[in-house]
Amino acid sequence: MEEARSVAQQIPLEHFLVLSAILFSLGVYGVLTRRNAVLIIMSVELMLNAAAINMIAFAAYTAPDRFIGMIFAIFIITIAAAEAGLALAIVLRLFRNQGTANVDEVDELKW
Amino acid sequence: MNMTDAWIIPLLPAGAFVLLLLVGAYLPRKGDFIAIAAMAAAFVAALLVVADFTDALAEHGAEFAGVSNSIEWIDIPDVLHIDLGIHVDGITIVMLVVVTFVALMVQVYSLGYMHGDSRYGWFYAILSFFAASMLALVLADNFLLLYFTWELVGLCSYLLIGHYNHLRSAAEASKKAFITTRIGDVGLLIAIILLFKATGTFNIQEIIHAAEAGEIRSEVLTASVVLLFLGAMGKSAQFPFHVWLPDAMEGPTPVSALIHAATMVVAGVYLVARTLPLFELVEGGPELVLAVGLMTTFISALLGLVMTDIKRVIAYSTLNSLGLMFVALGLGAPGAAMLYLFAHAFFKAMLFLDAGSVIHATEAQEVDKLGGLLRKMPITGVTFALGALSMAGVPVLAGFWAKDEILVAALDNHAVFALLCLTLPVTALYMARVFILTFLGTPKDEHAFEHAHESPPLMTAPLVLLGILTVVGGFVVFDGLGELMGFPGGIGQVIFLHEPHELHLDWNVILGSSALVIAGLVAGWYAYVVRPSVPAMAARALAPIHRLLVNKYYIDDIYQYLIDHVVLGVARLLSWFDRNVVNDTGINGPAETTNGLAYLAKFQQTGKLPNYALAMIVGVVALALVAFSLKG
Repeated sequence: MEEARSVAQQIPLEHFLVLSAILFSLGVYGVLTRRNAVLIIMSVELMLNAAAINMIAFAAYTAPDRFIGMIFAIFIITIAAAEAGLALAIVLRLFRNQGTANVDEVDELKW
Repeated sequence: MNMTDAWIIPLLPAGAFVLLLLVGAYLPRKGDFIAIAAMAAAFVAALLVVADFTDALAEHGAEFAGVSNSIEWIDIPDVLHIDLGIHVDGITIVMLVVVTFVALMVQVYSLGYMHGDSRYGWFYAILSFFAASMLALVLADNFLLLYFTWELVGLCSYLLIGHYNHLRSAAEASKKAFITTRIGDVGLLIAIILLFKATGTFNIQEIIHAAEAGEIRSEVLTASVVLLFLGAMGKSAQFPFHVWLPDAMEGPTPVSALIHAATMVVAGVYLVARTLPLFELVEGGPELVLAVGLMTTFISALLGLVMTDIKRVIAYSTLNSLGLMFVALGLGAPGAAMLYLFAHAFFKAMLFLDAGSVIHATEAQEVDKLGGLLRKMPITGVTFALGALSMAGVPVLAGFWAKDEILVAALDNHAVFALLCLTLPVTALYMARVFILTFLGTPKDEHAFEHAHESPPLMTAPLVLLGILTVVGGFVVFDGLGELMGFPGGIGQVIFLHEPHELHLDWNVILGSSALVIAGLVAGWYAYVVRPSVPAMAARALAPIHRLLVNKYYIDDIYQYLIDHVVLGVARLLSWFDRNVVNDTGINGPAETTNGLAYLAKFQQTGKLPNYALAMIVGVVALALVAFSLKG
C-alpha cells in the first residue's frame, strides 16, 4: 500500500485525470453510438470505471491517510456488478419480447 | 293559558302534520280526525289566549301593549344575536281567532267535500301544515320567523292549488301563484336585510322603536318600506300582482276558502298593519298603500260583473275586499282594516264554502249551467245570500260595520271617499248577479239541476256556524261588548290600544252607503230577474268596455307578452352568453389550450433510447459549463 502510493505519487495527478476523462468519453461515445443494448451496458461500465479511477486518484493525492476514495471505489464496483446483472436481465426480457436487442427498433415509449 | 304560552298553538297543527305524514296512511280515514282534533285544540287554546288578553286589558287598561316571549336562537358574541319569539297583541289576537276558527270549519267541511279524493290524507296533512305556518306567522315577533313562515304559507298555497295535479290548468295556476308571489317576497327579504343592517335586530318592535327614534337613515327606511310593501302586495294579490288569485281557484274549494279568502291573502294586510308606524314615518308611505288599495278595489269590482265562473266572481270580490283593507291602512285606520279582515274572513270563507257546496252538488261552476238551486239547496242558498249581502254591505251584517268604519275614515279625503262610494253599488250589483244566476230563476242545465241535492250535514254545519258569525260578528264594534268582557271600549280598543278608538257612527254615511248598496241590489234584481235581456243589451251597448272586462283588462296578455318577448328574450341572451362566453371560453378555453399545447409538446417524445441519452449528456455538459462559468 505504502509502496503503491509512493509509486503513484511519482506520476502527476493530471495523468490519472486525463486517463479517466478519456475512458469516460469513450464510454459516452459508446452509449451514444452503439445500437446493441449489450454494448451500451459495456459502455456504461467504462464510464463507471472512469469515475472509480478519479476517486482513487483524488484520494491518493489529497487525503492519503483516510480511505474514503477506496471505499467509494468498492461501492462503485458493487453497484456496477448489480447494475450489470439487472441490465442484462432487462436486455434478456427485451430480446424475448421484441426479438431484438437493437435499441433503435425499441421505440414504443412515445406519443 | 297564559298569553306567553301562545307558542303552543302553532305546534298543535304542526304535530298533526308530522303524524299524518309519518303514519297517516296506516290510520283509519287517513288520520283526518287527528288534524281536526289538533285544529280544535288550537282553536280552544286561541280562545284561552283571548281570555287572558282581555284579563290583561281589564287590569292594565289602554297602556297594555301586548306581551312578548322569546328564546335565544343564535348567539355569536359581538357578532350576531338572534332571538326567536312570539308577540301577542290586539292584531295577533284577531288573527289567531280568525285562522284557528276558519281552519277548523274548513277541515270539518272537507270531510264531506274531499270524501273519496285520491290524495285525501295528503290534503289534510298540508292543511295542518298551512295552519301551523300561518299561526306562527301571526305570532312571530321578529322578521326572520315571519319571513320563513311567510314562505311556508306560500309553499302550502302552491301545493294546495295544485292538488288536482292531473289537471294541467291546476299545475299552471299553482306555478303562477308561486312565482307571482315570489316576486314580492324578494322585496320583503331585501327589506328585512336592509332593516337588519340598519338596526342590528330582527325584532319588529325594536325596529319600529329604532325608526321612531330616527336611528335609520331616511333613504334606507324609504327603500325598506317600499320593498316591504312589495312583499305585502304579492301575498295579498294587490294590483299589479293580482293576476294569481283568480287562477288560484283551480285548487279545491275549501282551500280557496281558507287560504285565498280568510287567511293567507290577508297576511299582507297583517304585515302592513304590524309595521304601519314605519309606513307613517316615510313620506308618501300611506299614500302608496292607499293608491294600490284603491286601484285593486276599483278594477276588481268591475271584473266581478262579467265573470261567469262562480268561484272567480268570489275571487274578484276577495280582491275587492283586500283592496279595501289596504285603503283603510293607507288612511291610517288599521283598526278599520283589522275589523274588515275579521268580518271578511267569516263571510268570504262562507261564500267559498257555499260555492263548493254548489259545485259538489251539481259538478258545475259556470253560472250559465246553474240556476234555481235555492229550492234544492236551501241552507247553501240562504247562507250564500247572507254572505253576498254582507259583502255588499247591507246594514247590521258583519261586512256593513267594517265597510262603514273604512268610509268614515275616508270622510276627510274626498276623492277616496267618492271612489269608494262608486264601488259600493258595483259590488252590490255583482254579488246580486251571482246569487240570482245561481240560486234563482230557471235551471239552465236540466241535468245538473236534477242531480242537485243539499250537501251532507258535515258540510252545511260549518256554513251555518259561519252564517251566524256573519250576522252577529259585526257587533264586536260596540263598546258594550268590551264592557261585557271586562274592559272598556270595543274591538278598536282591543286591537289598537295606543290610540283609543271609538266607534264612529255617522248617520249620513250609514244612510248614504246603504242607499248606494240597495240601489246596486235593486239594479241587480231588475237586470237579472225582471228584465233578463238587460245584461246582454248593456254588453252590446258598451261593447268595447265589455270586451276589456271579459279579457281582464288584457293584463294577463300583457304579462304573457312581456314574458314571451322580454323575459325569455333576456333569458336567451343570457343563455347565449353562458353557453359561449362562460362555458366555451371561460371553462373549456383553458382546458382546450392545455390540450393543444400538450399535443404540440408530445412529439419531443421519440421513444428512441439514444435520443434520451444524448439529451441527458448535453444537459450534464451544459450544467457543468454553467457551473464553471459561475465559479470562474
